Amino acid sequence: MTGMGDRILGLFLLVLAVAYGWVAQQWPEPFGGAEGVGPETFPTILAIVLVIGSLYLMIKPDADARWPVGKSALELVISVIVLVVYAMLLEPLGFIISTTLAVGALSWRMGAPATKSFVTGLISAVVVFGLFNYGLSLSLPNGLLGGF
Amino acid sequence: METIGFLMEGFAVALTPYNLMFALFGAFVGTLIGCLPGLGPANGVAILIPLAFTLGLPPETAMILLTSVYAGAMYGGRISSILLNIPGDEPAMMTCLDGYPMAQKGRAADALAISAIASFAGSLIGTIGLIMLAPVLARFALTFGPAEYFALFLLAFATLGGITGKNPMKTVIAATLGIMISTVGIDISTGTQRYTGGVLELYEGIDFILAIVGLFAISELLFFVEARMGRGRSKVNVGKLTLSFKEVVSTIPTQLRGGLLGFIAGVLPGAGASLGSFISYTLEKSVLGKKGRFGEGDIRGVVAPEAGNNGAASGALVPMLTLGVPGSGTTAVLLAMLISLNITPGPLMFTQNADIVWGVIAALLIGNVLLLVLNIPMIGVFVRLLSVPPMYLLPIVTMVAFVGIYSISHSTFDLYFMIVFGVGGFILRKLEIPMVPIILGLLLGPEMEKNLGHALILSDGDWTTLWSSPLAIGLWLVAGLGLVLPTLFGPILRRRMRNAIKEGPVSD
Repeated sequence: MTGMGDRILGLFLLVLAVAYGWVAQQWPEPFGGAEGVGPETFPTILAIVLVIGSLYLMIKPDADARWPVGKSALELVISVIVLVVYAMLLEPLGFIISTTLAVGALSWRMGAPATKSFVTGLISAVVVFGLFNYGLSLSLPNGLLGGF
Repeated sequence: METIGFLMEGFAVALTPYNLMFALFGAFVGTLIGCLPGLGPANGVAILIPLAFTLGLPPETAMILLTSVYAGAMYGGRISSILLNIPGDEPAMMTCLDGYPMAQKGRAADALAISAIASFAGSLIGTIGLIMLAPVLARFALTFGPAEYFALFLLAFATLGGITGKNPMKTVIAATLGIMISTVGIDISTGTQRYTGGVLELYEGIDFILAIVGLFAISELLFFVEARMGRGRSKVNVGKLTLSFKEVVSTIPTQLRGGLLGFIAGVLPGAGASLGSFISYTLEKSVLGKKGRFGEGDIRGVVAPEAGNNGAASGALVPMLTLGVPGSGTTAVLLAMLISLNITPGPLMFTQNADIVWGVIAALLIGNVLLLVLNIPMIGVFVRLLSVPPMYLLPIVTMVAFVGIYSISHSTFDLYFMIVFGVGGFILRKLEIPMVPIILGLLLGPEMEKNLGHALILSDGDWTTLWSSPLAIGLWLVAGLGLVLPTLFGPILRRRMRNAIKEGPVSD
């Protein structure tokens, strides 16, 4: 069946729209009685529009996109993991170490030779760190490389 | 005339050494952003916003910096069109048609030089148009009530897909998603908590800057990873400049026509820079007819689209500055900067923040002179940078995006959020849900709700007030057309644009 991508998206959006609209109806009436527009009015309209949009997607889906499979899907997952780990390690390890690892890993996975990747990572990390901490006096985390 | 007086004051703002320095920096970075692979203008400006923000730049300086980047990106897009037959950004597509054949005939340097001049002319015409039209439109916009504004916002969303847009329903879905995200947080008028789930970080709503950076920068990185386009492009030799003065003079009519058409396309909702360069190229072809050798490296075939897309870039600032309603991705990102500087965009800006508006306009003029000066002698530098492989470039750009977002609030929570937006953006882009309406929804959502509320309070809850004035009805009609027309004419126009590109005998 063609258009599976759009149909799945449509289903997801339908669930989202209904949940979004339903939550809006649960809010207590604001103090001072109901005026023309309460906090739920606008979200309710949005939910209705999205319901219509999602139904349209399911009934008349576009042709499917080419989804990454196999190796490129794996590379994508790796990249996202690298980004999450980067965000996680930024404060504990400090900016320079974590950036060297993250930029290096990303470049390497995108096809650059490993040594060149990590050297690029290190150089860019040091330059940006220097620029921010000394040039612009915005502090990035020092982490393990404490007092320098 | 008072406009001249305001413009002079604008120059006084823009010509201070501090602001001039940022304009020069912006022009340079903008050109780089325009020519580098994987860094569109909207993307580039988005990454710079958190930096401008954390640097604590004064509002007029921040806006001057970003406007210069915007103008520069329009110049930069042509470089890879001419040298590699790969448009640096979408509006530069038409420049490939005659630019690349010129380069193949060994006239790359000439093509680059004349296109820089054409960009300058287009921008100049567009900026003059902006100076004349913007104050008039701003005065007119003062008569808008909340109902008209509500209709205007709808119009902005409806026409955002553009006349060449593919599936208007997906634009609607994207805009709705954006507005929905903007409703997270504490409701301003009643204090009700909406969709926060008790998470403290969500009380103030989702910061649209991190959403924008995630949607653009992170999803772009993922696209490159998927396509494995990490290898660079080969180096190109530019050759010697042989352009004669006579040749430059002979293109002046083309420059004027292109710039004017581009400006009009830029101002109108739903047209934009891509259509601007397409229209001016086609017009030039039909005006000159057999006299021109279009598609084989005619110099006017380079001039027309470049003047067109730069004229359109300035034209696109008109609705953004006067109505607070941007018509393109990059102007939407500029609007994000304005909002985060606590400036209410719209007609009042011309009276309340005159220094910023006119400073930006003056900066656009100065930026263009700087760009012309930068682009002719320094073209070699940009050409060399063109061969930087994305596999080094994109990770560094991503890192800069991380630094920018982190330095706003020093919280890693925001970084995770940005990654979520990036992954979501990647999936939605794969499904051809456009990003720009999401961003516009994020930005305009709160304003839309506010205006809806005001309109209904004024009318005592009577919903028909939304379409009771002739102006509001007109806006609703145009909005409706904006959704219907693309389904009728979109396929025809798209086919024509594709054919025009295929016709080029040399381009493969």
